[in-house]
Amino acid sequence: MSKYHNFMRKPLSRREMLSICKGGFGSLAFMSLFGVSTISCNRSKYDALGSGSDILLGPHYLPKAKNVVFLYMDGGVSQVDSFDPKPRLAKENGQDPRKKFKVDATQFDNVGKILKSPWEFKQYGECGMPVSELFPHIANCVDDIALIRSMTSQFPEHTNANYFLHTGSGLQGRPSMGSWMTYGLGSENKNIPGYVVLDGGLIPPGGLDNFKNGFLPASYQASILRAGPQPVANIIPKEQIPNLQEQKLDFIKELDEKQLNAIGEADAIESAISNYELAYKMQSSIPELTEFKEETEATKKLYGFDSDDPHTRGYAAQCLLARRLVERGVRFIELTCPKVSADRWDQHGDLKDGHEKNAHAVDQPIAGLLKDLKSRGMLEETLVVWTGEFGRTPFAQGLNGRDHNPSAFSMWMAGAGIKGGTIFGKTDEYGYRVIENEVTIHDMHATIMHLMGIDHERLTFRFGGRDMRLTDVHGHVIKDILA
Amino acid sequence: MLTILLNSAGEAPADILIFFGRIHPLVVHLPIGFLLLAVLVEVVAKRPKFQPLGNFTHYLWALGSLSALVAVVLGYFLSLSGDYSENTLFWHKWVGVSVFVFSLGCYYISKKQLKLPFYGKSLLIGLVVFAVFYTGHLGGNLTHGSTYLLEYAPNVVRNLAGMPDKAVPRKKVTVLDSADVYLDLISPIMDSRCVSCHNKDKKKGDLDLTTFSSLMAGGESGEILIPGDLNSSDLYRRITLPESHDDFMPSEGKPPLSEEEVTLIGWWISAQAPAEGYFTALNPDQEMQDLVEKYLGLDKNKLLNQQVEAPNPNVVDSLTNLGFILNPLMIDNHFLEANFSLSEHEFTDKASETLLLLKDQIIWLNLSNSGIEDGHLQKIGQLENIIKLNLSKNEISDEGLTYLSNLTNLESLNLYKTSISVGLLEVIPKLTNLKRLYISETMADSTVVNQLQQHKDLRIEFD
Repeated sequence: MSKYHNFMRKPLSRREMLSICKGGFGSLAFMSLFGVSTISCNRSKYDALGSGSDILLGPHYLPKAKNVVFLYMDGGVSQVDSFDPKPRLAKENGQDPRKKFKVDATQFDNVGKILKSPWEFKQYGECGMPVSELFPHIANCVDDIALIRSMTSQFPEHTNANYFLHTGSGLQGRPSMGSWMTYGLGSENKNIPGYVVLDGGLIPPGGLDNFKNGFLPASYQASILRAGPQPVANIIPKEQIPNLQEQKLDFIKELDEKQLNAIGEADAIESAISNYELAYKMQSSIPELTEFKEETEATKKLYGFDSDDPHTRGYAAQCLLARRLVERGVRFIELTCPKVSADRWDQHGDLKDGHEKNAHAVDQPIAGLLKDLKSRGMLEETLVVWTGEFGRTPFAQGLNGRDHNPSAFSMWMAGAGIKGGTIFGKTDEYGYRVIENEVTIHDMHATIMHLMGIDHERLTFRFGGRDMRLTDVHGHVIKDILA
Repeated sequence: MLTILLNSAGEAPADILIFFGRIHPLVVHLPIGFLLLAVLVEVVAKRPKFQPLGNFTHYLWALGSLSALVAVVLGYFLSLSGDYSENTLFWHKWVGVSVFVFSLGCYYISKKQLKLPFYGKSLLIGLVVFAVFYTGHLGGNLTHGSTYLLEYAPNVVRNLAGMPDKAVPRKKVTVLDSADVYLDLISPIMDSRCVSCHNKDKKKGDLDLTTFSSLMAGGESGEILIPGDLNSSDLYRRITLPESHDDFMPSEGKPPLSEEEVTLIGWWISAQAPAEGYFTALNPDQEMQDLVEKYLGLDKNKLLNQQVEAPNPNVVDSLTNLGFILNPLMIDNHFLEANFSLSEHEFTDKASETLLLLKDQIIWLNLSNSGIEDGHLQKIGQLENIIKLNLSKNEISDEGLTYLSNLTNLESLNLYKTSISVGLLEVIPKLTNLKRLYISETMADSTVVNQLQQHKDLRIEFD
């Protein structure tokens, strides 16, 4: 078969059939026949405004959240040093963990002694949630935060764990959660993609496949915005002559449409056309987005723009950008970590130095984001999620590091529909394993979708002969953390 | 064991007997398994291929009858607790005994390899099978209630068994005025908290709480409810005792009634425990009305309980042309969010007029940063179904705010970065459902906020 076999005529899918029919008299009759609401008949109208999506499904039930800001803590934050204090580690510091409990195989097979946390914990807020010295700013927001201490992952290694966290499957190639959300809900803004990843400097292991559309139409993949003056490559037109770019684009579109007419519906071509259109609009929307001219000094200071630490300043800009994207109706925004000198949160050695540098970079900006969203009334419609891909061991790797631990880690959510000040789930006295109310990654996905008004069991896409879901055949909404 | 049994005759049975009795449901499955296996072997052993199996059937019959004996004895202990319907219990007991007797007979015949005249053995085996199934069925009825088996059966099957059609569940109450005091309030409490132990078949304390008349009939210690007299009503006493008290109901660690449910039952008894009639016709005070609204989930936006019509497509078209994005908010209803905050168009009077044409459907309205002025709010204030209104970053003042006084469904009002100030004091108290108010970066000062904060349930963001 030729290398162009992708562009040969394929049988129509139900979705393609509907979208071809839409607009015609036949489709009206068809839709009323099956009781499809008038709104869905008018979806093409919404599309004219809120493009990016070809079919806007809308939520299953009244949503709590309209947008998600996913703060990805790349590498795995140590739970016992951040949100899950374990006094027993201090008592048994330096003892052999193998004499205390069964130690699973670790990534680097270099099990050291039980290692107490180098940081003190204090209780904060009305709820009295304990937080370590690593996060003094986030600690002041605990009354808005629902903490889950009983997360587990299925993978002890970054790449698979990242795919699992982002796509619900440890293998490469499934659609990312952001793609699922935009596929289900569409985007409100015609000038900015519905799913945006703000690249803080570190693309997580597993690469861009963490943010891909998988088998969903290609328009639902994430658009990556880099930090710095040119967040998207070639965003400034290079053509000297006015109109030249538009003429070029028109010509490309003409060619694409010819091809499309010749072979029928093909996601690759359709998505290419819509991506060209979007990219053109982004030439004006992106510079407007990334300029912080309208932001007051007080706001910038809240996020940490005046910090001595360049990484804090960098992440502050990302967090502020996230808020601006939420204001512009972007559905799903993920922030990756800044590239501090100590690598991401993956401290196999020198835990104290590395975690301190990472925490310092993100702590104030995250707290700033929460406070800013709250005072603007945006936090009631925005879900903020903070998590790594797994946790770390309560015993040392070597002398002063910690190895990967998928059996227990902490994450938190704040904002729309979340019961602030809640602590859910429990680990054993070492913080090594979950002993109460285990929450899987699937459960987390189901809960995020639930807050967006999506029933995770009903948002499906037929692929490989099966109705695929983000949560596959798993996932339970964690009702205890919902307001 | 025998002495315990004898000593306890005539009085309440000894705990130890009930303890053993409760092993009955576990043991009772052993004879079922053994005996059915024995029957199966008897049948297949007729075929030449399985003939050798026939030499072992007496072991199976022995196991079966022995375990049946144990089950019968334990079952007798359990029956001493007296929590079961007597008629069903009588038949369950004696058919159970017959299982033992018949299977013992089978054992004897197999062991001695007797030849009985006229299909004698087959008939006896048939009797065993019948007795096992019938007594098993009766046992199930005793535990789960006689309606359990066919509760979800098709009506055809139910009618064959002499049962009425499946009860159609009562329609969900959507307005407080339509709530029936017994059917919608008291009966559901009984159903969820009490009737698993107090029903027609499993009458703990000889009490059946499935219907109003059986409730009033009372139990073994007489009436449990004296209309109008809380202090003499045993039902009320038992649900209000401390949980550790022996008489506390629901017993055996089953979830206790919620505070609301207890208050509700108390109120009902005080109001002469009527069997029917509208709740509001009984003149409940405001506190009681609030409680019932909350209990029935009516406080959560009655609005969302109603079905609204699909929006007129022409209106949808014109709104989108005017610069609105309309988002459907749920699949099974036509409520909408209208969002103008991303629009490149200017907000016009025509826009607010057109919005009014969808006043039933629009429950969320986002007009942030849309160039809204005080005058526009006159029309916006007529969108009575709005639950969430975002007016942030607009040039609006107290004058415009007064137009919003009729938005009693409003739960969230965002006035961030507007010029409103003391006008809040006049308008906010009228918004009876308001839960969240955002007034950072406005002209409102802390004295205004302090005064507003006296309204309960209102969370104010202000810095």
